[in-house]
Amino acid sequence: MNAFQGSVVRLCFLGSAAILLSSVALGQNSSAISAKARAIHESAIVVDTHADTPQRFLDDNFDIGNSDPKDIGHLSLDKAHAGNLGAEFFSIWVDPETNQGHYAKHTLDLIDTVYEQAARHPDRMMMAFSVADIERAHKQKKLAALMGIEGGHSIENSIRVLRDYYRLGVRYMTLSWSNTNEWADSSGDIDDPKVQHHNGLTDFGKQVVLEMNRLGMMVDISHVADKTFWDAIAVSKAPVIASHSSARALCNAPRNMTDDMLRAVAKNGGVVDVNFYSGFDDQSYWDANKAQEKERDAAVKEYLDKLKAEGKTPSYMDEERIQRQWMAKIPRPPFKVLIDQIDHIAKVAGVDHVGLGSDFDGVSGQTPEGMDSAADLPKITQGLLDRGYSAEDIHKILGGNVLRVFAEVEQVSRNMQTQETRTQAGK
Amino acid sequence: MCLSRALCPATLALALALSSESSGQSTVDRLISASAKAIQDSAIVVDTHEDTPLRFLDENYDIGSVDPIDHDYISLAKAHAGNLTGEFFSIFVYPPENKLHFTTRALELIDSVYEQAAQHPDRMMMAFSSEDIERAHQVHKLAALMGVEGGHAIENDIRVLRNFYRLGVRYMTLTWSTSNEWADSSGDIDDAKVEHHNGLTDFGKQVVLEMNRLGMMVDISHVSDKTFWDAIAVAKAPVIASHSSARALTDSPRNMTDEMLRAVAKNGGVVCVNFVGYFVDESFARASERQHQSMTAAVRDYAAKQNTAGHPLTPEDSQRFALEWLNRNPIARAPLRSLIDHIDHVARVAGVDHVGLGSDFDGRNFFPEGIDTAADICPRLRRHCWIGDTAPTTFTRFSAEMC
Repeated sequence: MNAFQGSVVRLCFLGSAAILLSSVALGQNSSAISAKARAIHESAIVVDTHADTPQRFLDDNFDIGNSDPKDIGHLSLDKAHAGNLGAEFFSIWVDPETNQGHYAKHTLDLIDTVYEQAARHPDRMMMAFSVADIERAHKQKKLAALMGIEGGHSIENSIRVLRDYYRLGVRYMTLSWSNTNEWADSSGDIDDPKVQHHNGLTDFGKQVVLEMNRLGMMVDISHVADKTFWDAIAVSKAPVIASHSSARALCNAPRNMTDDMLRAVAKNGGVVDVNFYSGFDDQSYWDANKAQEKERDAAVKEYLDKLKAEGKTPSYMDEERIQRQWMAKIPRPPFKVLIDQIDHIAKVAGVDHVGLGSDFDGVSGQTPEGMDSAADLPKITQGLLDRGYSAEDIHKILGGNVLRVFAEVEQVSRNMQTQETRTQAGK
Repeated sequence: MCLSRALCPATLALALALSSESSGQSTVDRLISASAKAIQDSAIVVDTHEDTPLRFLDENYDIGSVDPIDHDYISLAKAHAGNLTGEFFSIFVYPPENKLHFTTRALELIDSVYEQAAQHPDRMMMAFSSEDIERAHQVHKLAALMGVEGGHAIENDIRVLRNFYRLGVRYMTLTWSTSNEWADSSGDIDDAKVEHHNGLTDFGKQVVLEMNRLGMMVDISHVSDKTFWDAIAVAKAPVIASHSSARALTDSPRNMTDEMLRAVAKNGGVVCVNFVGYFVDESFARASERQHQSMTAAVRDYAAKQNTAGHPLTPEDSQRFALEWLNRNPIARAPLRSLIDHIDHVARVAGVDHVGLGSDFDGRNFFPEGIDTAADICPRLRRHCWIGDTAPTTFTRFSAEMC
């Protein structure tokens, strides 16, 4: 779920208005992929660390088994299969505004939607909670469904609630979404003087990071303020991830990572998973978006006010519809900007520290040309192959790096818990 | 948690606990015959309701505590002394203090149980099925299960209910003492200010069916009579009363009529008798009601006097005063035989296959004489020994049917 800094209107729209009707129909992409690229892609365990589809499950009653060719969503079982997607981290994102006072409950609702989808499609999808589970799903040719919480506000400042999320299967948590919470500053409002900031992580925020390490929940630094990033990486005893963040050197968004940060993640052993959102991958898209922001926000507000005046309660879909109309005025960047991002991170942090964090279904359809759904993932393999990446390196980028980090996080957790047991026994 | 806290302030409970004689295994041993002890030791003893999670959470109580003057009814040492194998820890969210946060509070209580098990891996383990209970028994550990006390904890959301199941909750009491949006409670059924539903709403019936589908036991303790009949008509699996006694012996709306006991028998369920004196002994109930009224009046008078003197009371002052008052004005505990009478009555009316133990330990410290800790559960039963190991067997069979 993305949001631009300072934007009065949420950009995280969910749903399914029909803007992408021009998108290439499923299965017709194969012609663009060479046999070699196809073979490399098909032999990989492909892992994506961020998709907002649970919002569609919950609000639109979307079924991941949907095979409607007109559906404009980025993710379905068919699309995942066509793109050889092995594992998806479904994002548990709680809108902090509309769910005030009920973050935990809404978190539970979203978690349930993922389980329910897996229960509905036991032949093609399974819940997964570990690297071993992802590998098992791959062998059985099922989509491994994992969960990550996007925004520490979900725990309602309670370590106990955090632990229950782990027990329910959540395997990463983004320390903040675009909103600063009570213990971590966000890049989304860091320049807003009305928001109370903490100069990064508070002491409690540091406790949260350590408890995540102990549990074996990956610490996700996407969305956080720069200082929160540096605090998290200093405190964490395990490698961190950026579940959906691109490079600031190529696109100057505060949500993106500086080269210093990329190198710090490399040193930490973690992974940066590139966001597919055009506004984070391409400077001219970002600039065009900024340029229309004021006008667009005003138009959205006017539209919503009109609905309210008519006695209606505007829904996500209403907002989404007009947002998409505006954003569709901005030309889509070429596919290569996505490969440029991956390439930059691979060069700065190293090829062991880059992965995929699509932000599918969370970016109002605004992805580079040719990246219209999970079915288009093989194009990434083709793009990397064209730039001279080896099959081995491509496998790392497609999922190997994330699996390595996840396994290390599991190991750190085991070590910390063993240490704890020893301490207890020694008492 | 048995009754509205309006009738049961923490001070009162504490005062009674403090004034109760401290227990010791040696005392118990002297009173238990060899054959009773043998029966006890060979049983899988299961208790379906006790409220220590509130202490885990709010008082940082450690179940490993061996403090001889600790007033808690459950500790690992006491459970061991009483050969208690399976305990359903109650996830009880007190409505007035947790408005708008029922679910979050439930999550915190759930965590408190897991944390206790994690702190004592050698003597306690989490359990989620009857097999787990049997496994715990084999390895001589206390099996910790969880039941949610009061449907309000799901905040009218089936998705939250399912996550409670995933977190290990294995029963839910449809209501606590307050009616919720989908089920009437016996606790406020006569209160005209409360909106009632004539039992279960359609959503309430859905909740019951979803619990059946999940494998979460439907608990009808606390509910109003009509809710009971609705639940038993809708449920596709046996129900439990996790902590309810017999109305024929003690006339409380919280207790079950003989007709209800027979209906539970027909349904294949089990009624786990509540140990609280208030529910098993009418004269104790009346005496404690009077005691409570007198205490409230005394606190009120004292507060007014202090106010006039220019020293208004803080809540802590009131509590302290209430505690002292209770210490000065104790009432006699109910006799142990009252509890045995209830078990005996349920066994006779519903059948010996449909009665069990639902102590309500730590929910309200009004237990009959001789029931001072978990260490006393079985020995006391055996001493009045007619029941053998029937109760636990019943539960195990029942639980096996559920899971």
